[in-house]
Amino acid sequence: MSATSYPSTAPRPTSGIAYYLRVLRVVGAIDFKIKYSDAALGYVWSVVKPLAYFGVLWLVFAYLLRTANQTEDFTLFLLIGILLFLFFVDAVSAMLPSIVEGGATLRRLAFPPIMVPLSASVAIAMTFCVNLSVFAIFAAIQGVEPRIEWLLVVVLLAELYLFTVGLGLLLSALYVRLRDVSQVWELATQLLFFASAIFYPIGILPDWAQKVAFLNPFVQVMQDMRHVVLGGASGPNDLTAADVFAGAGGRLIPISVAALVLVSALVYFRREGRYFAERL
Amino acid sequence: MGTAVEVSGLSKSFRIPHEQHTFFKEYFVHPFRRRTYERNDALRNVTFSVEAGEFFGVIGPNGSGKSTLLRILAGIYVPDSGVVHVRGLLSPFIELGVGFNIELTAHDNIRMNGTLAGLTKRQLDERFDRILEFSELERFVDQKLKNFSSGMLVRLAYSIAIQIPFDVLLLDEVLAVGDEAFQEKCFATFEQFKAEGKTIVFVSHDLELMERFCDRCLLLTTGQVQALGSPREVGDLYREHVLVG
Repeated sequence: MSATSYPSTAPRPTSGIAYYLRVLRVVGAIDFKIKYSDAALGYVWSVVKPLAYFGVLWLVFAYLLRTANQTEDFTLFLLIGILLFLFFVDAVSAMLPSIVEGGATLRRLAFPPIMVPLSASVAIAMTFCVNLSVFAIFAAIQGVEPRIEWLLVVVLLAELYLFTVGLGLLLSALYVRLRDVSQVWELATQLLFFASAIFYPIGILPDWAQKVAFLNPFVQVMQDMRHVVLGGASGPNDLTAADVFAGAGGRLIPISVAALVLVSALVYFRREGRYFAERL
Repeated sequence: MGTAVEVSGLSKSFRIPHEQHTFFKEYFVHPFRRRTYERNDALRNVTFSVEAGEFFGVIGPNGSGKSTLLRILAGIYVPDSGVVHVRGLLSPFIELGVGFNIELTAHDNIRMNGTLAGLTKRQLDERFDRILEFSELERFVDQKLKNFSSGMLVRLAYSIAIQIPFDVLLLDEVLAVGDEAFQEKCFATFEQFKAEGKTIVFVSHDLELMERFCDRCLLLTTGQVQALGSPREVGDLYREHVLVG
């Protein structure tokens, strides 16, 4: 038998949607600020990183290897892949050590521990929004006309964010017990970068590999995003989960994977979260 | 007035693995080896209650479970068994001095801690200057905390803690590092809290301080309640049995 209760006439100040949003805004903004505050170039770095990736890959594939002719719009095709990939990887990488690193606060202040990794993800989401301006500039240069379908981008970004947060929460909680998680994740990001059709058309993979790749919600979102934004102009490379898993319901497979990851992360946090303070 | 804190039959033990099992390698190399644990009973069947408006001291040698007790009261640790009831708003801070992000400026730490503790933006704006004023750290507001001395950290932490609305304040060894002038300033706030009818649970090694402020004292040794009574009685017992040995 064990119970801790805090009956009080006033509502607990550390619960409720308003509290959560407030913490995410304040702590997320602070996280975002310190990420760049010590660097001479400041926020410029958040744009430099995707541009550097983009520059190298574009040089190799559009200029040196001349494979770019397989995809029209290779520039935007590549940029979409890089921006989404960097958001996905950077967000999970920032969330992963956040509980362990935020231990000092968790051991002294009673608040929902989930706020620590969530705030870390907000800072990366803000970086992503800054980077979207890069995309806007490139799209304008390429003369891409905005279309009504672009509204779907919001839905796709929401799906990617929920999947990213789910994975980040799960890994950050596991990292409390198992410090190898960071090594595994680092390796996984390297492999994912090459396996996720970021800089090549996914259509060149064998069928079975396409099916495996599309189990990853990130790949599904990236391909759907390219489809929506570029309007199917990329031809055979414009594969989506629906094409690979036979039928319009095909997207449900990666979407279920994302939901499963998020739900198991929340369940694990609910069960283990209250013990973090004593395990750190 | 009623009781502010009620603790009955509270036990808490920590399992400390002899060999930290945090690497995959060990799972593969010794998958069936049983892990051995050191069992540390931090608290054993602790029962007491604190009246609303009381200034309650907890005393005991190092490792007697004082901090664990406070952390459980604060809702940071989960008890193994027993019941803990706290009536009213609990102050969120427990161990002053640390709990900050030292890579952040004082300004950002105040905003972050205040927000995590549940202050709204308006409440924080109202209190921000009061926090700085009480801590006397106005000049250092934009400096990173890694450049602060331990005394400055305590000042900042205490100044934040008392600006967060509470009915029950938990203080763990707060005044061990602050200078005398600041200690006196804190004592003045103690008097004020007493007058306002706030409940304070206070951990310290300083017997004089206990006798000066506490209404009652609890003596913990090896996680068990040794004595509970007036600060003088409990203090004498502590001197006799614990300090002398």
